[in-house]
Amino acid sequence: LETIQSLAYGFTVCLTPENLLYCFIGVLLGTLIGVLPGIGPSGTIALLLPLIFHAPAVSAVIMLSGIVYGAQYGGSITSILLNVPGEASSVITCLDGYQMALKGRAGPALGISALGSFIAGTLGVMGLMLFAPTLAKFALRFGPPEFSSLAFMSLTLVTYVSKGSVVKSLIMACVGLTMGMVGMDPITSRTRFTFGVSFLTDGFELVYVAMGLFGLSEVLVNLGQTIKREVLDAKIKNLFPNRQDWKDSAMPIARGTILGFFLGIIPGFGQAIPTFLSYAVEKKLSKHPEKFGTGAIEGVAGPESCNNAASSGTFIPLLSLGIPANPSTAILLGALLILGLQPGPLLISGRPDLFWGLVASMYVGNVMLVLLNLPLIGLWIQMLKIPYSLLYVFIVLLCQIGAYSVNNSVNDVLLINIFGLIGYLMKRYEFEGAPLLLGLVLGPMLESSLRRALMMSDGSPLIFFTRPISAVFLIVSIAFLLTPLFSKERVGKKAIEAED
Amino acid sequence: MSHELKSGFFFLGLSLLVIWESLRVELGSFMEPGSGFLTLGAGLAICTLSVVLICRGWKVRETQKPFSRRVLLVVASLFIYSLVLNLLGFVLATFFLVGSLFYLGQPRQWWWLIGISALVSALTYLIFGVFLHVYFPRGFLGI
Repeated sequence: LETIQSLAYGFTVCLTPENLLYCFIGVLLGTLIGVLPGIGPSGTIALLLPLIFHAPAVSAVIMLSGIVYGAQYGGSITSILLNVPGEASSVITCLDGYQMALKGRAGPALGISALGSFIAGTLGVMGLMLFAPTLAKFALRFGPPEFSSLAFMSLTLVTYVSKGSVVKSLIMACVGLTMGMVGMDPITSRTRFTFGVSFLTDGFELVYVAMGLFGLSEVLVNLGQTIKREVLDAKIKNLFPNRQDWKDSAMPIARGTILGFFLGIIPGFGQAIPTFLSYAVEKKLSKHPEKFGTGAIEGVAGPESCNNAASSGTFIPLLSLGIPANPSTAILLGALLILGLQPGPLLISGRPDLFWGLVASMYVGNVMLVLLNLPLIGLWIQMLKIPYSLLYVFIVLLCQIGAYSVNNSVNDVLLINIFGLIGYLMKRYEFEGAPLLLGLVLGPMLESSLRRALMMSDGSPLIFFTRPISAVFLIVSIAFLLTPLFSKERVGKKAIEAED
Repeated sequence: MSHELKSGFFFLGLSLLVIWESLRVELGSFMEPGSGFLTLGAGLAICTLSVVLICRGWKVRETQKPFSRRVLLVVASLFIYSLVLNLLGFVLATFFLVGSLFYLGQPRQWWWLIGISALVSALTYLIFGVFLHVYFPRGFLGI
């Protein structure tokens, strides 16, 4: 009953004209960037960070969250119609979605993708509504040892599930941690790693690091490649799946929702990895696994539901523990800090307007997304025809203006360009940006909780192992750190391939 | 030299800098960790991992892909933009930036480039400068 009352309160917050507008802008932008290959939700949220300085906190969070879950809807459109995934989480949809489109069944593929996403998204929000407050109450028992172990575990998991080499991901996490500690030490007020440069006293601001590493660098990488887009010209009909399609898709949607939601909660998994697992599960359980890859609707329904449920799941550690699960939520965490909010166990009880307003906006946002995706499919197809050589100019210009508008400073424009170049070089040298960003965001929390824990225990590191919750987090971290040593699959895979 | 070897040496150098600065700013003790306590750990980890990268990269022979000329020119345009923004002012600097970006995206007729650059810089000034009250630099022309 308490949950229903809180949700009703959330709707009173969300259903104001201002918040509805912000929600609409968020899901519209989410769909747009999902449709347009070349810029992801992390990049878009990073680009929009400067705008939140001018918006009320709840409205800003509603809009930025709309981008995160809205991108999952839009990403499938390009996968189905172009065989080019709009987002990493829609890669697997290409396999059967595009085949369905080639067979003249683009309509049902798009329909089941949008409706499955709606079902999974709505169930995911219900899960968020039930699990996040419970987890936050549980997390009130956490002290500094638990928080430092949790931050350490999150970083370890993110490096483990990153693409490519674990060694490179670990280096990025450590570089991010160090960057997070640049500037004034909050305990001793001593400046460190500034090397006499005055603007480093405040540390690296998330705004330009994220905009450079995730916004500008993505554009530079895409400019170095040739993006070919051939949209299927056939008229799209029968967007609503028939009875047989629903029969084939019902269980994949249910399984995808459960799998996506629970894997989304675990830091590092994000939205993409669960979709691959969902596809594998559906293929394994299917009576006709040979049909997968030739246009099986189950291969679209499962993963597309999965990525939406996962996107709701990623909000649980963010809102209840203050731990981001992927780059998008890491930037959201930064946004919450910019807005003067402290993500963690006290956020839900301290700012019920924010939490319940956000939850209610997700229900509303999911309805808006279905309405945006199905009737307006023709519009999104037209958007796909905009050449990248025109589009990138507007993205780059938005980056420059956004960076400038934070402090009205040309130095920030220079910094975003420097981080854009660093991000481009990182991608060229196959270093992942996600561990660095999470290190930067979690660094201050890890440092302060680690130091306080050691002071509490009179310098005994055993405190991390004698407290059960902390011990569990550390055992999981150590297991994930050691696993690559016993698996040739990960460590040095690229180097071995290159040597061969 | 392989990518792994190059990046390994870069991060080895960076780790030595981190270790040196951590030792300089006071390490503290386990009972009372100082400002450089955790960064020393991070520095040592980067150092160890970069040695692993160097060892791996030593054996690898790979052909290097050249940098895309278009990317280099776009990066150069962006750095020039950030350096001349105060001098030229937002409208003029953005006009040149947008023109060069459109040209680098796909070479087009000069009149098209001038027209679209003027339109985009005027519109962005109107949206961000006038409606959203961002105080852009005015430059030597005062616009």
